[in-house]
Amino acid sequence: MSKDPWFRNRLIRDASYRAIYDRMKVDPSIYIMGEGCHMKIHFDAPQIEKEFPDRFITLPISEDANTNFAVGMSLAGVKPIVDVITADFLYRTMDSICNTVAKSNFVSEPKTIIIRSEFLTAGPTTGQRPENLFTHIPGLNVVIPSNPYDAAGLTYTALQEKAATLFFEDRMIEDKTTSPTDMIDDSSHPSIPLGKASIRRSSLRSSVTVVSYALTLRMLQILFEDENVDYDLIDLRSIYPVDYELIAESVIKTGALLIVEPDITYSGVGAEIAAEISEMCFRHLRHPVKRLGAPRVTIPASRKLHEYMLPSEEKVLEVAKELSK
Amino acid sequence: MNLLPLYQRMVTIRIVETRLQELCFKGEAGDLHFSKGQEAISVGVCAALRQSDYIVTHHRTIAHEIAKGSALRPLIAEVLGKATGINGGLAGEMHISNPTIRHIFSFQLVGTCVPVATGLAYALRYYKKTDDVVAVFFGDAATSNGQVHEALNIAKIKSVPLLLVCENNGLAGNIRKEYYLPTETVAERMAAYGVEAETIDGNDVSLVQANTREAVESYVRPESKPLLLEMNTTRLCCHKQGQGDIRSKEEIAKLAERDPLLPVEQKLRLTQEQKERIWSKIEMEFEQILQHVQKDKWPTWNPN
Repeated sequence: MSKDPWFRNRLIRDASYRAIYDRMKVDPSIYIMGEGCHMKIHFDAPQIEKEFPDRFITLPISEDANTNFAVGMSLAGVKPIVDVITADFLYRTMDSICNTVAKSNFVSEPKTIIIRSEFLTAGPTTGQRPENLFTHIPGLNVVIPSNPYDAAGLTYTALQEKAATLFFEDRMIEDKTTSPTDMIDDSSHPSIPLGKASIRRSSLRSSVTVVSYALTLRMLQILFEDENVDYDLIDLRSIYPVDYELIAESVIKTGALLIVEPDITYSGVGAEIAAEISEMCFRHLRHPVKRLGAPRVTIPASRKLHEYMLPSEEKVLEVAKELSK
Repeated sequence: MNLLPLYQRMVTIRIVETRLQELCFKGEAGDLHFSKGQEAISVGVCAALRQSDYIVTHHRTIAHEIAKGSALRPLIAEVLGKATGINGGLAGEMHISNPTIRHIFSFQLVGTCVPVATGLAYALRYYKKTDDVVAVFFGDAATSNGQVHEALNIAKIKSVPLLLVCENNGLAGNIRKEYYLPTETVAERMAAYGVEAETIDGNDVSLVQANTREAVESYVRPESKPLLLEMNTTRLCCHKQGQGDIRSKEEIAKLAERDPLLPVEQKLRLTQEQKERIWSKIEMEFEQILQHVQKDKWPTWNPN
């Protein structure tokens, strides 16, 4: 679908737009809006531009009012998809997301609203991952797919749930590493319930459960295939709600849990899962739960320095091996 | 123009708020935000709107809810936190959402109502394709908030049918306007956005009604454009119950000479006896409702 000339990774985004386009065809209440919206639709979703020219609304660079504008539209029956472009810009609209979107769905009949943004890595304020902040706010679901199939399936679902969903697109996941089984074609209409994780690798001999999402999930998938190790690998897909049932089921079998996050570990979803699983599966754990992820530092601009932001493959294998004992 | 129903509605607001204030002091209600002295605005504007038009409001919203035609029992139940309230006790006085009378939402956070109302007005005109309009109420102090200015920008660019009602009481909570308003009027700031604006006396309910009708029917509805009516008014109560007032008793007494009920009583030529009959009828109605509401069930909840 995309003819965006400047970005290399677009399979996940294309799959999301495919799902949005399919739903727009059957649901006239779906509108896309946000700053620079016309530019984005023009390059990312030309079919939407051609067929639904009245259903995307280009708004000024006023993120906070734009999200509240979307809430106003939802009060008249519209299902808004708000494009906030880069995840860092979400800080500009924290008030309208946390105080208006989440609370209006609490006080009155819940409405469908999706807030989309993507992760980039271009330095201190264009490379942050604020996804964990939103898991603390009641009334918000937080979705981060690791592959095109999940992106389409979760978009379909989010557009049919009477709930507010933050939908993150990880632009750092490289297209060339996408497995053919995770692709979508014109005939596929995947539907994935929110809050259901997926088992990416599993075996009866597994000695460690590894939980991750988005960028690090993709990294581990390739690493574990290459190394041919017997670890269960779970893709959270949504960091709120978290599929504790699936994680616990695996941990009871393996007796060890490692959480690998692409985000800062401090106060992250990994801490929450570690606490919850320690309570749920205490007697089944051979080792304390381990977490790996980004240090609590500001993201630097240099591509070279990004290597320090994520755990290395060697570190992951070393910790997993220790836990498998 | 029949003034009597407008007077009755203004008196209803006055009585409900006065009685709720007494309940605050008894600990039966929280620290509520009242509109004493500003009743002509909500009543006059809502009287000029169609029933199908929408209002979006701020934290001081018991007046708007009554003015738009809410039944008193679910309103009082909501303010007192009962299960029988408009929103089952989840909203309280500051987050009321009552779609049945099209008082679609009220927002405690200052300024939020304006962009939400802008989006609603856009959707009514360009998605639902109705000719309903939205009236959004906010204070003069809200114009120091970025959300209001971001929304004005969008409202003008997107050409939405939005009546902006600025209730100018010269106060931001308990702070005087030299601390937040750099201009003489709010209306003059609208020039920056190319939004039509006018300043009127907000304590004259007939004038409020007539100006609103004129603005809505000759401009906002047919042209689908935003317009601001700045209504100068007097808040005769403190910011919220349980808080002192920065103003002296003498200052408030002086402002009370502009009490919006007085000119209506004069115009209606009410005798003391007629006036007492109107008031005691509404007071009795309130007492009956209160007795029911006090026996109503508390909400129950199972958050997990």
